[in-house]
Amino acid sequence: MRWVPPTVLAGMVLAWAAPPRHTAARQPEAPPPSPAATGHDFAADVRPLLKTYCFSCHSTAKRKGGLDLEQIDTPAEALKHGELWEQVGERMQAKEMPPPASPQPTEAERRRLAAWARHATESQVNPDTLTPEQLRQALAAPPRSRRLNRVEYNNTLRDLFGGLDLRAGDLLPTEGAGGEGFDTAGATLFTTPVLLEKYLEAAELVVGKLFPAGGAPRPTGPEAERLETARRAVLVAAPGPDTPPRAAGRRVVEAFLPRAFRRPVTSREVDRYLGLFDDAGRRGAPYEQAIGFALKGVLVSPSFLFLVETPAERPGLYRLGHYEVASHLSYFLWASMPDGPLLALAAQGRLHDDEVLRAEVRRMTRDPRARGLTDGFAAQWLGTRPLGTTVRPDTKSFPEFDDELAAAMREETALLFDAIVREDRSVMEVIDADYTFVNERLAALYKIDGVTGPRMRRVALTDPTRGGVLGHAGILAVTSFPHRTSPVLRGRWVLEELLGAEVPPPPPDVPVLNERQKGVDNPLTLRQLLEKHRSKAECAACHARMDPLGFGLENFDALGRWRTEQGGRPVDSTGVLPTGERFSGPVELKKLLAEKRRPEYLRNLSRKALGYALGREIDRAGMAVVRDCVRALEQDGFRSSRLLETIVLSYPFSHRNQKS
Amino acid sequence: MSAKTRPLSRRTFLRGTGVALGLPLLDAMLPARAGAEPGGAAAPVRAAYLYFPNGAWMDAWVPKQTGADYELPFSLAPLASVKDAVTVLSGLDKPNSRSGDGHYAKTANFLTGLPVRKTTGQDLNAGGVSVDQVAAAHVGHLTPLPSLELATDPVINGLDRAVNYTRMYGSHISWRRSDLPLPRLIDPRAAFERMFGPRDEQGRPLPRPAQTADRSLLDAALDDAHDLRRRLGRGDQQKLEEYLDAVRGVERRLGPTTASAANGWRPPTRPERLVPPPALIRPDVLFTSRDNGGDGAPAAGGQAIDPPELVRLMLDLIVLAFWTDTTRNVTFLFANDVSPRNFSFLDGVRENHHSSSHHANQQAKIDAYKTITRWHVGQFAYLLGRLRDVREGERTLLDNALVMCGSSLSDGNRHDPNNLPILLGGRGGGRIRAGRHVASPRNTPLCNLYVSMLECMGVPAERFGDSTGPIRDLTA
Repeated sequence: MRWVPPTVLAGMVLAWAAPPRHTAARQPEAPPPSPAATGHDFAADVRPLLKTYCFSCHSTAKRKGGLDLEQIDTPAEALKHGELWEQVGERMQAKEMPPPASPQPTEAERRRLAAWARHATESQVNPDTLTPEQLRQALAAPPRSRRLNRVEYNNTLRDLFGGLDLRAGDLLPTEGAGGEGFDTAGATLFTTPVLLEKYLEAAELVVGKLFPAGGAPRPTGPEAERLETARRAVLVAAPGPDTPPRAAGRRVVEAFLPRAFRRPVTSREVDRYLGLFDDAGRRGAPYEQAIGFALKGVLVSPSFLFLVETPAERPGLYRLGHYEVASHLSYFLWASMPDGPLLALAAQGRLHDDEVLRAEVRRMTRDPRARGLTDGFAAQWLGTRPLGTTVRPDTKSFPEFDDELAAAMREETALLFDAIVREDRSVMEVIDADYTFVNERLAALYKIDGVTGPRMRRVALTDPTRGGVLGHAGILAVTSFPHRTSPVLRGRWVLEELLGAEVPPPPPDVPVLNERQKGVDNPLTLRQLLEKHRSKAECAACHARMDPLGFGLENFDALGRWRTEQGGRPVDSTGVLPTGERFSGPVELKKLLAEKRRPEYLRNLSRKALGYALGREIDRAGMAVVRDCVRALEQDGFRSSRLLETIVLSYPFSHRNQKS
Repeated sequence: MSAKTRPLSRRTFLRGTGVALGLPLLDAMLPARAGAEPGGAAAPVRAAYLYFPNGAWMDAWVPKQTGADYELPFSLAPLASVKDAVTVLSGLDKPNSRSGDGHYAKTANFLTGLPVRKTTGQDLNAGGVSVDQVAAAHVGHLTPLPSLELATDPVINGLDRAVNYTRMYGSHISWRRSDLPLPRLIDPRAAFERMFGPRDEQGRPLPRPAQTADRSLLDAALDDAHDLRRRLGRGDQQKLEEYLDAVRGVERRLGPTTASAANGWRPPTRPERLVPPPALIRPDVLFTSRDNGGDGAPAAGGQAIDPPELVRLMLDLIVLAFWTDTTRNVTFLFANDVSPRNFSFLDGVRENHHSSSHHANQQAKIDAYKTITRWHVGQFAYLLGRLRDVREGERTLLDNALVMCGSSLSDGNRHDPNNLPILLGGRGGGRIRAGRHVASPRNTPLCNLYVSMLECMGVPAERFGDSTGPIRDLTA
């Protein structure tokens, strides 16, 4: 029998044997369901309730929100829609549905529907009905090769050339995202003539800097030193009395190629790039430039540009080879190539050993290159990348805003996540932390004294409102309109990006926010307008979830500055959630999120991180790994290493399923 | 309208090209080469497709009268100076966008007309090859570049979880295959260099690595690819095929330029100097590596360029592309779909573009919406004016062009894919009876326009997308 990580199997059994913890916690006094209505009998227990409370909107004729519950008329049909019932259960639980103005089910009926939702969800992938083999089949994806994305390409060039960070990858066109919303998804990474032209250009940029043509000006100062370090890293041999140029060239290519291809290379491959060295020599290029030419060839070759997963010879489940594991690990934790120690472990065939992998996760997350996880994962998850380009506060309303401030804003959030990873801190610090990172510009925005200069540095926070991403100017700005704050956008961000809830788009043609009534003596505040808006049943369901969360952040203006007044009135930052939970201001909001919404947050973070690592969407089977991650985090103070390690040791990280 | 611009950089660029505003144009034009015989062959028809996001307020767009004698509504007012060269097309629908979400299922197929697959990224599909790429497959070999894809925004990252589409659909209108979106250049310098190679401030070509050398690099890469093919699974063969296609695309450009000979067409004039436009920095890289040992400096230098300025630079590049016959197929996105671009540089506008499109029938928002739309129409008119300023044999570039400009929605508040706001500039080599408002009968697919455009370009296409035929009453 093939190897199965015990954590995954244990996780699956546990997850489906007991209801999720937060569900249980919400209904402490729930009596055991009566035998007459377990909530498991769709025809008897469930459909009548749907008919009474849901069909008035979600019928085949009306299909409100695109949802037709009426068409689901048999138990077999019903069980095919596991994810749908999960959503129905969540919306019911949060008392968003049915809309407040509609007839409400009794508590017993609500419980019955919740029980059904759980039952149907669990029926989807049920370890009692799946054999271990089927389970592994469901977890492991077919082998997939993909090209490097821009972040990875930049980082890889940097590490390939001894830390020389020329950012040649900035020349490449920008990329979209797939899977769970990341540019690690191979399905959304394409190769086109424009891209190849840019690869040639980028290779020329790097090689031209390292081995400038005869007459080109040579840099001086620190740049010259960095270039010299990089050159030495490549030029492991030089022609001399006992070494003809070609022999030296061969040694350079032999040393460079396995690093560039992240695996051992064949003599045929060495000869191929040595052939380029020869070509350049024949055209009269001196030694170093001939080396440069060979390197250029390497840098535009698919073995460098693509992360390759070789399929197994026979169909079935198999474990990735050691070198493939090395790359998978380094591109997950660093968004860059494996370094010497990691490649050495691969060469020794030790990367199938959990203890070795654990030790590597510890080593690699402490390394400065772990910043790649922030630039690759966190910047996309938290959505700070567009700040300064497609999302910009209005500079007439906010003359303080410019590209430098935008960069500091993005960097603050990046450095928080980087600290959580590299210092193995609690992932709950994303929601609340007693420190942050500022430079002079950002400190001025936050009214923190004593910070001068453009360098970002860590500061201890005495003000409890600021810590965590909900007090970060970048997050607050990216969730605002150019001229003003938007409690709706901020609330949606908290729900969707932080907690992983799905918020459907507004139905078409709904009159929204009547905010700018000219000529009215006593205009409504934004809050009053939104409250008016929520009185409409079709709006209320979602806005009752989003808006209060956004209200809690109204003390921050569209640039993230603290304010106590707005338009001559004191800011009201109180919010009431549909569940009845109340809070006032960011401190209470963060407390509520960190305590009451912690399971959702941890589940979302884990799902996103796993989706980033695997480069695909997480399906129901994959949620078993997500539950393992959440459990590991909960058992050990939410330390980031527990999440990363659980992902690295998970079955789908290292296994593939070769279809026949 | 007071646009916040950095005029210097662009003016330098334009002066270099010999078409700075206010200069007598013909003085700045040089004969392309001694012995050129303009008019020896018919000038080719070239097409550009300009996309603007978030729809339009149709009461301020659709003229009340049809035919030649019509009044320009508010949003079309900037067309006054080029009215005789414009066709206003109303009544065109995109039936395959009637389902799906409000934006992505409407924009990715702007130029394919076929259904967009709902996906978070796996099996991306825009229904078919886009019209610009159908033309490129037919006439692309006649010019140095088969096609050129331009935009101003980085590709939108992430998923739209509310609707479960990858946001990248909202950034791509040009599809080489139904499952292969083409990357767009957003840096004017990069687009310029793609067309004309790197040049100095005087427009003189800068030395670049010998092209024969590039060829041997690509040969090595192809060798590697052939080895790799044996090591890849079946699912990955297509990704490798994409790579091989890309190599072939680059190799084609390294070959001897036989385009003019094959085509029988030589541009009768050329720009006096090809001065490169400013390069764009991406402000999002300013800090990324600073704490990581790097100095945080972007690689290529460059400057921040305000969106209106960037749009103008891109439109100028389209003029150059057509003038030099570098390509005959251009797509341009004014902005990504759902764009929240801030238009406060327009008087009276205090809304971002997307939020103004969700006007909820409030007058203030509608005013902003139709003003923002009018600005886009103004840019279109500017492009037409520039194309008209360049003579090409007996006609002008504009006479020989087809410049389609429109959005994938009509009323953005309803995400309505029917009765789309569509303009066609130029006369398609004399075939288009321009200067009119052509109202199509109900349920006419937008793709019928593409059939008409392909016909004008000499591309045999009886059908395209969901077309039912050409547009009636469009051509002479």
